[in-house]
Amino acid sequence: MRYFLRKLLQLVIVVFAVTFTVSLALGAIPYAEERIIAAKGSGAINEEEKNKLLDSLNLREPTLVQYGYFVGDLVTLDWGVTLNGNQPISTSISDGLGISLRLMIYGQLVALLIAIPAAVFAAYRSGGLFDRFSTTVSFGFISTPNYVLATILGLLFTVRWKLFPAISTDVGFFEAPWDHFRNFFLPTIVLALPLAGAYMRLLRSDLVNTLQSDFITTARAKGVSTPRILFGHALRPSLFSLVTAAAVNVGALVGGSVVVETAFNLNGLGRRTVLGIFASEFRLVQITVVILALVYVITNFLVDILYGFLDPRVRVGRLG
Amino acid sequence: MTSTIRSRKRPGVLFGAVAVTIGLVAAACGGDNGGGGESADTVAAAETTAPTETTDIIDPMTAVTPGGTLTMGIEAETSSPWRPSEMVCAISCHMVARTVYDSLMIIGGDNSPVPYLASGMEPNEDYTVWRITARAGVKFHDGTDFDGAAIAENIGRHKTALLTGTAIKTVTDISVDSSDPMTAIVTVEKPWATFPWYLTGQIGYMASPTWLLASDTDEALRAQPVGTGPFVYSDYKPNEYYTGTKNANYWNAPFPYLDEITLIPIADSLKRRDALKAGDVDVVHTTNGEVINEFRSGLDGFSSVEITNNAETGYTLLHVTQEGSPLNDRRIRCALANATDNDIINEVVSFGVNELANGPFSPGQVGNLEDSGYPLVQDMAKAQALIAEYKAENPGELKISLATTNDATNLVVAQYQKDFYEEAGIDEVTIDQIDQGQYIVTALLGNFQVFQWRNHGGVDLDQQYIWWHSSSALDIGSLALNFGRIKDPKLDELLDANRATVDPAEKKQIAEDVNRLFATECYNLWGAYTTWLIAFKSGVMGLDAANLTTPEGARAVEGAGIAGSFFPHTIWRQQ
Repeated sequence: MRYFLRKLLQLVIVVFAVTFTVSLALGAIPYAEERIIAAKGSGAINEEEKNKLLDSLNLREPTLVQYGYFVGDLVTLDWGVTLNGNQPISTSISDGLGISLRLMIYGQLVALLIAIPAAVFAAYRSGGLFDRFSTTVSFGFISTPNYVLATILGLLFTVRWKLFPAISTDVGFFEAPWDHFRNFFLPTIVLALPLAGAYMRLLRSDLVNTLQSDFITTARAKGVSTPRILFGHALRPSLFSLVTAAAVNVGALVGGSVVVETAFNLNGLGRRTVLGIFASEFRLVQITVVILALVYVITNFLVDILYGFLDPRVRVGRLG
Repeated sequence: MTSTIRSRKRPGVLFGAVAVTIGLVAAACGGDNGGGGESADTVAAAETTAPTETTDIIDPMTAVTPGGTLTMGIEAETSSPWRPSEMVCAISCHMVARTVYDSLMIIGGDNSPVPYLASGMEPNEDYTVWRITARAGVKFHDGTDFDGAAIAENIGRHKTALLTGTAIKTVTDISVDSSDPMTAIVTVEKPWATFPWYLTGQIGYMASPTWLLASDTDEALRAQPVGTGPFVYSDYKPNEYYTGTKNANYWNAPFPYLDEITLIPIADSLKRRDALKAGDVDVVHTTNGEVINEFRSGLDGFSSVEITNNAETGYTLLHVTQEGSPLNDRRIRCALANATDNDIINEVVSFGVNELANGPFSPGQVGNLEDSGYPLVQDMAKAQALIAEYKAENPGELKISLATTNDATNLVVAQYQKDFYEEAGIDEVTIDQIDQGQYIVTALLGNFQVFQWRNHGGVDLDQQYIWWHSSSALDIGSLALNFGRIKDPKLDELLDANRATVDPAEKKQIAEDVNRLFATECYNLWGAYTTWLIAFKSGVMGLDAANLTTPEGARAVEGAGIAGSFFPHTIWRQQ
């Protein structure tokens, strides 16, 4: 329980730091008021409208009052509308989050589906032809920027072979499964391949070590089949690094898929944030940053808690 | 089939990307890297594009197959959609707006405004009072009647707006004729013969007063426009798509032909091209030199039209009245003009698709001159002599700052400019990269010395009034559309004279004088006229705006009044 409370306290501190910084960041932006007015467009210029707009952002309030309003709005979901698009910010963020979450889940699944079997086989035949080949390929995936991958795959699969759309649309899975698949396939692959490379390297390395353990030697001596040794005995204790990396990537991918989203015109949270920055959509950016920070810290919090339950040595060690 | 229309043919000498073009204050502009940045259009949408040939003009319903859908890739999302007085309207904005709104006037085939949604527009003798009559029997999509009150409500909202308000600030009164509820009366403080031009674009778009009122309190409604146009708003997701469905009761039958139209903002021009090739969209527009060259060489299954007439000019904007700035001195400004080698910039950045500019008026615009006096060829010796003369009178280091965006192409242009200016004798040129959002604000506030830009498309000189007249040159720190804060009594005089006359010969003379004045004073450093290309799948028909006719039989000008655009009314799909 003390471990849990300590982690919870860390989470609260991080959340406070993020929300406080974000709420005050607006005031530090040069010409913030002018940019807001310009972003809002011509209708907001008369003094009454201008004051109403600036008041709604609490820009002229003292620091702590600004923070209080910001947190209040955040909690009550009173996020207002975008300056440029007149769209409810809550809708914009939930739409973007939905797209990014799907992309993240698909990307992770595909990456794991590629990485785990490849890593197991590479570790089993460590130093062999497949190991060397997969190592080369995985380094290739890791070192290829995803905008390069997006361009190459895009040209091949969309322009040349016309198998997938060049610009993806957020078509619902239950609405049109085939169109959903077509629209998310390339972004998923572009996102998944570098991840798969990294996951494979991690898992292979851990598996090689595990396969040298005494209990594996014992299992072999007892005549346990190779597939059972690999998948039944060696894989599970080797997943620690992979689980950590995958968990950390959850937060990174939700807001960090901006390159992939931009490359395929997919309007996820990352792309919305970047467009929001360029368009002076300060409130949208503020709230998105807080949400992304929350995703990060909550994910890491859960992983930390999970470690504690999975391996008591972690819990005891960190307390000690 | 590739039907490529080129109105001017000087490949190999073009500018193009000096410009981060921005529309009025186009916070939402997307961009065409390598082709000229983003496009900036405007209040008085009247950037008339007139291709030199006609491709597919048809008589309505004689050869048309109604039905089908069309998806277009447009270059940018629009800021502050979709109330006409608030939209920050570059070309992509007009493409969307024309689906849902009709303008009171359109530019006719003879390059003059003709009534469209209005049935008539009559001035008094000295052009200080205009009577605008609503077309009878027209209803907005929500069932509200279109009448004089609707016109007054719409124009009245522009009066208080930052951008469009500047354009019509000489309007002193807007009312409804007490004896004719279908007529609105607009009074201006001094003669304004060219006022109808302003109703061909954004200020002329008519929105439902019922919806406008409701959206005053419900901001989310502002993104769900209600007009009288050929397509009824169906769905809109910013940065994703805008969809309109056929207005079955459209007042100007047989338009529209399509059942549905979708416009998708795809900022990257190469991605837009790929989307067309992949079949995701049916039509795209672009100013990107690479893409234009590709379509010039011909692509199976696609057609294209190219438009340069009346398009914007890419240029470098100078702040000419900043206290203590060397740019207040004409010699420095003209030195920069002479130092610049636009040929090199155009070849490298725009693949040579544009035509070098010698003034603000592109081919087809009134005032365009074969030789305005502006240097089209680099003359470094002259530039160095001018700067040396200035330095002799003003000792000390000569420094200027050059603003550009974060865009890589624009940075390349800036680096070329820096080299040219320093070779000419400027001691230090600093390049300030500014993000898009702040770039526009910087221009409005006047916090710059040298600034990449693109603007000034159109037909009539009056469309440039707001950009150059001293009444739009507010102090630094105030939002003003005369970005360079030009305060030239001679220029004011010419602009006012043009505004007060309808005599074509006189207007031509005035516009040409303005062109020469700019060349003499070097207020701006001209780059190149923008080339627009509209590329589309074979089987997409009716893109020529001249297919749009009014009930009285007048045809719209080819090019729809804004380079790179068309009227969605007239599009149809060949089965």
